[in-house]
Amino acid sequence: MTRFRAALAAAGLLLLSACGSGNDSDSGGGPATLKLSVIPIVDVAPIYLGQQQGFFAEQGLKLQIVTAQGGAAIVPAVVSGQVDFGFSNYTSLILARSKGLPLKVVGPGNASTGQAGKDFGGVLVKAGSPIRTPKDLAGKRVAVNTLNNINDTTVRASIRKAGGDPANVRFTELAFPDMLAALDKGNVDAVQVVEPFLTTGLKAGDRLVASNYVDTAPNLTIAGYFTSQKTASSKPELVKKFSAALQESLRYAAAHPDAARKVLAAYTKISPAVASALILPKWPASVDRASVDTLARLAQQDGLIKTVPDTGGLLP
Amino acid sequence: MTAAGASGRGAGRRRHRPSSAWGLGLLGLAGLMAAVELAPRAGLVQRRYLPPFSTMVSSLADQAGTGAFWRALLDTLRGWATGLAIALAAGVVLGIAIGGVPLLRAALASTIEFLRPIPSVALIPLAVLLYGTGARSTLLLVVYASFWQVLVQVLYGVRDVDPVARETARSYRFRTLTRVRTVIWPTALPYVMTGFRLGAAVALILEITGELVIGSPGLGERIAVAQTSGAVDAMYALVIVVGLIGVAVNLLARATERRVLRWHPSVRREAVA
Repeated sequence: MTRFRAALAAAGLLLLSACGSGNDSDSGGGPATLKLSVIPIVDVAPIYLGQQQGFFAEQGLKLQIVTAQGGAAIVPAVVSGQVDFGFSNYTSLILARSKGLPLKVVGPGNASTGQAGKDFGGVLVKAGSPIRTPKDLAGKRVAVNTLNNINDTTVRASIRKAGGDPANVRFTELAFPDMLAALDKGNVDAVQVVEPFLTTGLKAGDRLVASNYVDTAPNLTIAGYFTSQKTASSKPELVKKFSAALQESLRYAAAHPDAARKVLAAYTKISPAVASALILPKWPASVDRASVDTLARLAQQDGLIKTVPDTGGLLP
Repeated sequence: MTAAGASGRGAGRRRHRPSSAWGLGLLGLAGLMAAVELAPRAGLVQRRYLPPFSTMVSSLADQAGTGAFWRALLDTLRGWATGLAIALAAGVVLGIAIGGVPLLRAALASTIEFLRPIPSVALIPLAVLLYGTGARSTLLLVVYASFWQVLVQVLYGVRDVDPVARETARSYRFRTLTRVRTVIWPTALPYVMTGFRLGAAVALILEITGELVIGSPGLGERIAVAQTSGAVDAMYALVIVVGLIGVAVNLLARATERRVLRWHPSVRREAVA
């Protein structure tokens, strides 16, 4: 029965090798490895561009980008220290902060272009829809990717601005990739989409009725890069270097939109035709405090949180 | 012996026309391909949401030329194999240990029955908290799901040992390891192979689910990226690849089972008939 013994030995070896792997990131020496968790979407193009351009290496950082499929997985990973930094929209960060999660923003992520009709996100309806303005959305079914988050609060702000009543808008949660099909089938009356689905929808004949981020505030900062309070206080040097490389990446992306479009092919599957046509977000050099306060106020107004938290402690 | 899954019942009767079974299988597959090719072309479904089969295949050909595709394929296969190996080793060792001690078995039965039905997917939040969004999170899901498949089969296998053989071994004062090797193992092996076959399929499902939901590297993650990029062709192309891996895993598991159990009556009968 040597076969049995060999099988047992092989199984044991496999077990050992499986347990032994995966700890290489802790080894010292060389550049500091930093883990950044992002969602593979257009908004984070500056990070990939900055990595290509060597901005992180210049700071002595070895950037390891970890992709997650949703913001929901990023916040716990940052809080538990599995990754050093994460990318999230500000409403999520404000909500997390008001629940007592120790988060700290280290740099801006992206912002609205500020031009109505030419922003990277907006509300689409079918070509023949009776909905003409945001005001008409009252009482209609509107799809957003996450309920009680930045997209429904900003759509409500858009309706209010147009003089409508957002109280009886029926928001439905749908993933961005499913929205255009749902709109097509008539499951919903309107969808709040971002690129690349905005351009795809417009190409297919859908009509834009609201640029909800533009209607909320001028130059609304939408998302940012954050870390945990623990990392911020225990690794100040790492945060400083990351922040510097991030600034440089954002500046470079803002100045080279064509390079930003090109880098999309490196980490998304957006087709070249859509990539060259889509509207890029703005990549500002600093966080616009006023717009974060606006988002906090909207979250409180819509009942997502009871009291407006101190955004000063969250922001850098 | 009623070795679950290892039986070759009826195989002898069907043996004279395996080619027609293969033919029918291929015909079914061809029918599916034709339906997926024609439905979008005939306008039954929108091409934006379900492109024709040929479009998917050409997208697959494009992706096969990139390193990222092969890296993802390798990540998926590695995650699957590692998870399955851990589950198999742990399941066999613990199964024989628990099954061999009646008291332990009785004490742990309810615990096993409580833990086993927990869907691995429900552990995703826990996995992310423990291991972040890396490959280890998915590995945890894969191991958890396939471990129970193996463990339960091994427990059945150990219970199936002929009492006369067991008592004889005891009368001759076989050492524990000798008893495991000569009495328990030959009886349990068909069950282990069934556990292996079930575990292999479950491990693949969880590997892809983990990649898709958590975003750990692999084909599932590529599918999710294609989806968030609105690249419908690329998404379906990857789904086809995952399906093919599923077929390959099943064939591999069956071939392994036949080879390892070639001495076993259930397999020998198939060859003799």
